[in-house]
Amino acid sequence: MNLALSDEQAMVRDMVRRFLADRYDAATMAKGPMSPDDWRALGELGLFALLAPEQAGGLGGGAVEVMIVSEEMGRALAITPLTEAVLLCGRAIAGDPVARRWGDRLMQGEALLAFAPGGAMTDGRLCGSGGIVRDGMDADAFVVETEAGALLLIDGQDSGVRRMPVRLVDGSMAAHVRFDAVHAVPLTIPGSAWAEAQALAGLSIVAELVGAMATLLDLTVDYVRQRHQFGKPIASFQVVQHRCARMYTWLEQSRSLLLKSALAEEEERVRAVTAARAYIGDAALKLAEEAVQLHGGMGVTDELAVGRGLRRVLLLSRLHGGGTAARAALAA
Amino acid sequence: MDLALGPEQHAFREEVRAFLAASLSPALRRGAALTSGVFAEPDIAREWQAILEAKGWLVYHWPDHAGGPGWTPVQRWIFEKECAEAGAPVLPGMGLKLVGPVLYTYGTPAQKDHYLPRLRSAEHVWAQGFSEPGSGSDLASLRTRAVRDGDHYVVSGHKIWTTQAQYANWLFALVRTDPHVKPQQGISFLLIDMALPGVMVKPILSASGDHELNEVFLDEVRVPVSDRVGDEGQGWSIAKFLLENERGGSSFAPAILADLARLRTSTGPLTGELADRALRLQLEAEALEMTELRTLIEIEHGAAPDPRSLTTKLLASEIRQGVEALAVDAFGLAGLQLPVERPFYGDDMPAPVGSAQAQVAAARYLNARAWSIFGGTSEIQLTLIAKAALGL
Repeated sequence: MNLALSDEQAMVRDMVRRFLADRYDAATMAKGPMSPDDWRALGELGLFALLAPEQAGGLGGGAVEVMIVSEEMGRALAITPLTEAVLLCGRAIAGDPVARRWGDRLMQGEALLAFAPGGAMTDGRLCGSGGIVRDGMDADAFVVETEAGALLLIDGQDSGVRRMPVRLVDGSMAAHVRFDAVHAVPLTIPGSAWAEAQALAGLSIVAELVGAMATLLDLTVDYVRQRHQFGKPIASFQVVQHRCARMYTWLEQSRSLLLKSALAEEEERVRAVTAARAYIGDAALKLAEEAVQLHGGMGVTDELAVGRGLRRVLLLSRLHGGGTAARAALAA
Repeated sequence: MDLALGPEQHAFREEVRAFLAASLSPALRRGAALTSGVFAEPDIAREWQAILEAKGWLVYHWPDHAGGPGWTPVQRWIFEKECAEAGAPVLPGMGLKLVGPVLYTYGTPAQKDHYLPRLRSAEHVWAQGFSEPGSGSDLASLRTRAVRDGDHYVVSGHKIWTTQAQYANWLFALVRTDPHVKPQQGISFLLIDMALPGVMVKPILSASGDHELNEVFLDEVRVPVSDRVGDEGQGWSIAKFLLENERGGSSFAPAILADLARLRTSTGPLTGELADRALRLQLEAEALEMTELRTLIEIEHGAAPDPRSLTTKLLASEIRQGVEALAVDAFGLAGLQLPVERPFYGDDMPAPVGSAQAQVAAARYLNARAWSIFGGTSEIQLTLIAKAALGL
């Protein structure tokens, strides 16, 4: 047993951390989605290739790499399409020769893929609603999981793809997507590989949440130290100390479940990730709400990272039904 | 003991119901249901205020000597309950609930004659200048100075969290008139015309994207001494009176119960954890309603307010936040929409995914986080309860 990062893993973490630290500080965190230029720069640095399977020409990074990268993204409250585009769509198309041209551009950060659950094949064409699709306005192509469970690839340029912009609570632009007789390419991916891709996507979300929790706790501890009321720092009040200490316990418990799911054997992974989502979905939102409360009025403004961080945590913690759906899945 | 309405109360409730059915237009109801902030926006608020004033029910909670309808505490509660169930707009309270009672309690006859009618007609729209950047929970440390110069005070300072100041033309403010005494004793209560030179309002955008809050900068504003309410140095007592009204002046539970019922209508049946959460919130809100009612009934029968009345703002904040969080979860991904356009009932709003209620859910959730902060944080409320109810 060993919980230390390898040299290579530490290098990846440092690279991502430096990249993000050069671009985001408390004043700019979570102000909006990462710029396309920065996203492309991450592609050029090889970050997406690192996380892509070897059969798609990637380096085959696994759960630990996903955890490292996503936690850093969360720590900077960076708003990116990493989970859906790189992990879910990237893996969905990895084994498919036809889809390969998208995979290369995706790894370079030049093309964006979005994931749309919904729709059905009728007379050889995709029809129906794709629902609210994250990053769906900017997507060049979509991976669709139909109601019948088939995986398809469609080109965003297809005239049958209808998109309405929907701004989400973290400021990112989703699309409300409808498919109107869209040409679709069936993707061939073994069920186990798709389950693994979904597990890694779930892991990425909880890792981002843990990173965000760490930042929100840091910001809160800094704030209560410098905010004075009644002639002393509010950090000197026991009630404030205890609240911060409680936040710390939520963070550490969350990190434990994150590590457990990243280090789980492959056959245990789905359950471990679901368990992490079940706990962290609630813990992250509670922590973010406490961070806002301890910042007082400043916490509810758009001016501080803590209020914007609550928005990002709200979105990430509620995706795919959040902790509620995860607990229902565990109980089933 | 019984909780049944008497025949007169029953008739009164029917009268209120008939009035609301006739006066509350679908547009007002829709506007109120799709309001993301704490108070109705001016377009809706002005219309509803005029309708209530014409009926004589605008200042329903003022005593008859101040121009109110002379209702008992239980009648006021019936009115609030019916308004909540009908989905009436929530009028901004800074004038009607906060400075109004201060004026009829502490104001001179001239101040009452001048300000109360203008408050009711909405010629004057009021904002509250209490908090400062360095004085939130520790309000008594406020630093806005008022220096006497003949018949005027020269006022300089910086107020913050001033709700709807962008729509207001009058500000009531706590200012320091004497820096040499104990902090609480050096404070006075001033009425400030926001058209005076030296008043500047700067918006604060909320995390929700709503513009409800502001900073107000006062730079050598010359305020007539005749616009001081109460004596010099009496501001802290007046502020305590006002804050008691802000925290406990009206009932919280009726609006929460009505919103919860409307939420269940718009989401359809809830299952599993969501159903469980809805039930728990329902029970908390029902208990709060009874807690509020107990105090009202006791006051109606001549008792002094019980310290339990200090619990309601704290409890209402928690339940309100729970309801708004439940709404986000109950609408699924559609509950995570957050358009930048405002208001949600306006013509510029993009077509909602799901329903208009889903579209406003995230903004309402984010704004509801302020409930446990404004009007005295939940931490301050708990301290007050420990002192007043338990003697700790």
